[in-house]
Amino acid sequence: MRVVLVPGVLALLPEYAGLEDPVAELRAACVAAVGWLGADPVVLADPQGERVARALLTQAQAGGAPATGSGGGVVAGAPPARVLVVGNGSARRTEKAPGFLDGRATAFDEALGASLRAGRPEVDARLAAELWASVTGIERMADLGDLGPAQVDYDDDPFGVQYWVLRWQT
Amino acid sequence: MTLRLGRHEFPDTATLMMAIVNRTPDSFYDKGATWAEDKAFERVALVAAQGAEIVDIGGIKAAPGVEIGVAEERSRVVDFVARVRESFPDLVISVDTWRAEVGSAVCAAGADLINDAWGGADPELVDAAAEAGAAIVCTHTGGVTPRTRPYRMEYDDVVAAAIADTVAYAERAIAAGVDPASVVVDPAHDFGKNTFHSLEVTRRLGELVATGYPVLVSLSNKDFVGESLDLPVGERLTGTLAATAVCALAGARIYRVHEVVETRHTVDMVDTIAGRRPPKRAIRGLQ
Repeated sequence: MRVVLVPGVLALLPEYAGLEDPVAELRAACVAAVGWLGADPVVLADPQGERVARALLTQAQAGGAPATGSGGGVVAGAPPARVLVVGNGSARRTEKAPGFLDGRATAFDEALGASLRAGRPEVDARLAAELWASVTGIERMADLGDLGPAQVDYDDDPFGVQYWVLRWQT
Repeated sequence: MTLRLGRHEFPDTATLMMAIVNRTPDSFYDKGATWAEDKAFERVALVAAQGAEIVDIGGIKAAPGVEIGVAEERSRVVDFVARVRESFPDLVISVDTWRAEVGSAVCAAGADLINDAWGGADPELVDAAAEAGAAIVCTHTGGVTPRTRPYRMEYDDVVAAAIADTVAYAERAIAAGVDPASVVVDPAHDFGKNTFHSLEVTRRLGELVATGYPVLVSLSNKDFVGESLDLPVGERLTGTLAATAVCALAGARIYRVHEVVETRHTVDMVDTIAGRRPPKRAIRGLQ
């Protein structure tokens, strides 16, 4: 099983493209990881994250990123071959962040990031909501079992929002 | 259709800044600031650095004054065009002249575009443009003699007159052999027009755009702006930019200007509002 986590950044959507890409580095990491994942994965996301996932899958295909394997749909009772998770950490990490500064954000993201990198995400859903963290998809990763250590492709908070691009292969 | 200005081509979506460079001792706005050749050359370097795609070099002011003969006009612009051509190969060079003889000479020196502000007063100008493979700006002046002010001119419909005359001029240029992709029309604010006429042309510019020819507007610091706001030359930038915004929304393509940076910002902002140009860099609320 291959699993990829990307953040639900709306600037990744083509309808919000400007002349310059404000998330070029993040986009490159996302597209590469989604290309590695392959076509037609199961998507774990909230509705906005679902749109981001679809856009990244389209961009990965258009960019000629290698699509490995064939068909990823769910076989009843069997684990999916490919899973694309959309979620991110707090949007309250700095005074300039969308949700302003919340002093608890850094510790929350450190804990969530550590659990993700270990392949066993643990989320405090109530705190996540207070800290503007988008964790719907991450919470549903529990069904995938222990994923083991992640490959970290991106780990930064360029706008006061914590983003990760992570890959797991089990 | 791709816009072809001499040796340069631009896509349909491009808007272009045409910066005014006067080789005159007496033009209304700069009052001779770039009369000296080196000062004019510094002005070219400045507007090129500011992003102007076109420079419009003129050797005779539009308003009445001392008569400037062909030889004197040539001496003001021809060698200067050659110098600009050599130093700025990527710049479109336009020359503001109504005389065929001057038009031929500047094209030989490297000009790409003849900006005939006087509506085809010299019938052989189109031939000069055609022979040189240059582009031409076809203006509407109501038939006035070059370098005269409008006096009690009236139109049944000034916009209809502007369309009829500029399209007829454009067709004459094409018949003479000018590339159809190299013909630009200009309703010529203030030329053969009182302030009410220029305001109506501004308000109804979309009708000129609908002819399909790329539209040039020359609004910069003109009297119709000054009279609308009762402001002297030097205090007309805000009014100029308001008129610019209205023309940009209607789809004007080329803007003949004194202030390149301010006009570029205005036109880009309007095009972005109109949905013809994406924002430069958008992240607010999209993180």
